[in-house]
Amino acid sequence: MVSVNELRTMYEQMVTARYYEEQLQEEYLVGKQPAFDISAGPIPGELHLAAGHEASGAGVCLHLRDDDTVTAPHRPHHVAIAKGVDLKKMTAEIFGRKTGLCRGKGGHMHLFDPDVNFACSGIIAQGCPPAVGAAMAAKKRNTDSVAVAFLGDGAIDQGGFLESLNLASVHDLPVVFVIEDNDWAISMPKDRVTDVEDGSRRAWGFDLPGERVDSDDAVAVAEAAGKAIARARDGNGPTLLEVQVHRRMGHFMGDAEAYRPEADIERAKQLDSIERIADDLRSHGVEDDELDEIRERAHERVDDAISWAKEQPEPSPEEAYENVFTNPPATAATDGGNEGGD
Amino acid sequence: MAETVDVDSATVWPEDADDVTEAYLANWFVREGSAVDQGETLCEMQVEKVSIDVTAPVSGTVTEIVVGEGVDFDRGDVLARIRPSA
Amino acid sequence: MATESRDVTEATETERELTMSRAMVEAIAWEMRNDEDVFLMGEDVADYGGIFSSTTGLLDEFGRDRVMDVPISETAYLGAAVGAAQAGMRPIAELMFVDFFGVAMDQIYNNMAKNTYMSGGSFSVPMVLTTAVGGTYNDAGQHSQTLYGTFAHLPGMKVVVPSTAYDAKGLMHSAIRDDDPVVYMFHKRLMGLGWMPSPSGPKTAVPKEDYTIPFGEADIKRPGDDVTVVTLGLHVHRALDAASRLEDDGIDAEVVDLRTLVPLDTDTILDSVRKTGKLLVVDEDYQSFGVTGEIIARAAEGALDDLSAVKRLAIPDVPIPYARPLEDEVIPGTEGIAETIRELHE
Repeated sequence: MVSVNELRTMYEQMVTARYYEEQLQEEYLVGKQPAFDISAGPIPGELHLAAGHEASGAGVCLHLRDDDTVTAPHRPHHVAIAKGVDLKKMTAEIFGRKTGLCRGKGGHMHLFDPDVNFACSGIIAQGCPPAVGAAMAAKKRNTDSVAVAFLGDGAIDQGGFLESLNLASVHDLPVVFVIEDNDWAISMPKDRVTDVEDGSRRAWGFDLPGERVDSDDAVAVAEAAGKAIARARDGNGPTLLEVQVHRRMGHFMGDAEAYRPEADIERAKQLDSIERIADDLRSHGVEDDELDEIRERAHERVDDAISWAKEQPEPSPEEAYENVFTNPPATAATDGGNEGGD
Repeated sequence: MAETVDVDSATVWPEDADDVTEAYLANWFVREGSAVDQGETLCEMQVEKVSIDVTAPVSGTVTEIVVGEGVDFDRGDVLARIRPSA
Repeated sequence: MATESRDVTEATETERELTMSRAMVEAIAWEMRNDEDVFLMGEDVADYGGIFSSTTGLLDEFGRDRVMDVPISETAYLGAAVGAAQAGMRPIAELMFVDFFGVAMDQIYNNMAKNTYMSGGSFSVPMVLTTAVGGTYNDAGQHSQTLYGTFAHLPGMKVVVPSTAYDAKGLMHSAIRDDDPVVYMFHKRLMGLGWMPSPSGPKTAVPKEDYTIPFGEADIKRPGDDVTVVTLGLHVHRALDAASRLEDDGIDAEVVDLRTLVPLDTDTILDSVRKTGKLLVVDEDYQSFGVTGEIIARAAEGALDDLSAVKRLAIPDVPIPYARPLEDEVIPGTEGIAETIRELHE
């Protein structure tokens, strides 16, 4: 059972994540209109926004502590927010600033926050093996920490995922794999790339439990994830979850989605997990005033994080040579001194 | 001297971008003086991140490129002029 | 400059021009029309037409049977391309970003690259592995590498890196017709994408008919007497810009575009170095154990007595950072190239 306070927590995280993506969408387009130039503006490079994925991050991370590990894929913001990653430093990283989580070296697909044991991989499914490793460390050290690997439905055909399921299963490791099924692997619909409609069935071949949450109902996600995480924490091994989510902002910014039927885009917009959890709260007697208050607080936090990030200094060029190693040899990086690209 | 034919951006504007008024000229594939066949791709424009090929309305010679490469323009702007071949 | 060169330029001025992506697609389409054994596999190559427009329009002409979207399973589909090639077909398999090679490296370097040799020549692997390379748009360490040296280092693969539309088309025809595995590395920044503007050089006049450019023939993109600049990919254009900036200072740089790394045209490099005596190698890959070291070694082996000065510019052995000032620091820029040429000339 999900308590009303837990509903509040999830609601706040979800509205934070949604508003965050909406604001980033605007910031990203600064300097990129009308000609869309991916390398222009204050946020350059690819940007994969997670609007429509919020229930998955909030429902799963509800059960996690700071000492639990999460790995996220190239679409990580909603998970990072729900895991408690420092929002200001994360935003500064996305803006490529010196005080960002990764000192401007990682960018939005590669967020790392050791304080809450959060890491990313920008390569499909490649966050799964490190999550298995975190679970291995927890088991060897007899802690009750767990690990969660988030991945997209496109990742379930990748060896790194399938091998991780097997390794986790044979060693009964405290890890949960969460597939966020948004129906699309960039332009490829799921039925073009796999005959298995329910990704959680991948679990069967590895003799571990698999469960699919058929809608992005945060309560249903929280209940399924609660069971899976408790199972891991109690030493009973891994679980595979799949959560139906919706892709509301294209694969990445700049994706015109010409390949996607208009009806599918509209459908994704209609199915709104945030509306649903707001209704859940109302049915528990929470007044609209309180929902407004939560939403305003969330918006303020995001606005603060973005304005803080934009005031942060950019890294200086020589910082490019730092952090290649933890213990740098005397002559680690070659000092190229490449005087600026154009 | 034959009249020139306008290459009109409005005629190739995508139907689902009716509400958009600005576009960007991404690439020219011909130059002033080039001989082109009707239907040949002249340039590539970008509306709302979607690329659209603009083809020659008639066969002839490109007499003027009005909107240069890398330039923003408005719907209805003439992109180029072609003098039809006899 | 010789009169005939000017004439050539004038003659091509009214010809149809293409972006590099369109030139690649034109060659692939021609080969698919003329050889039923050619087919294409990759992620987002069908409806999307390739994330970097490397396959635009091919689905419409050839259908899903020959233009196949595949699962995100690089080991499976790159390995399947090897198997189909060994069965006599001529697959083209696209690896969306070269950085993704890691998840499928065994198929690439143990199967694709070695099966010809390890079968004693009884098998051949006539496939093309196309892949997008390069940075300059702030996509960070897992999406910005070129890895030219990695692929060229491992024996058994031919490695092609076009820098212009003309070269891209001719090299693609050659790649598909070649009986060996060819890694065809196209730089994102050169493709002529509306959303990632190219420098002005890669869009060139391209003949409508098919033509081949043989592997192992570097192209002197700018003749000069004072300093030799050997480079490839995007940096051909940065080197040309640097060379033209130095014209007013009376420095005449020669820019050699390698076009293929395997086979490598050592003769053209040596001829140029013998003429200028000064060598700069510019690479968008990591500096150590890579292309720059190899070119300089060949120059030293073949023309040591003629060499008076050598320098190199490459990624200074750090992963490619995200933030703009950091990425600009590590990827050789036009200004840095010009300055280094000037230092060599002094």
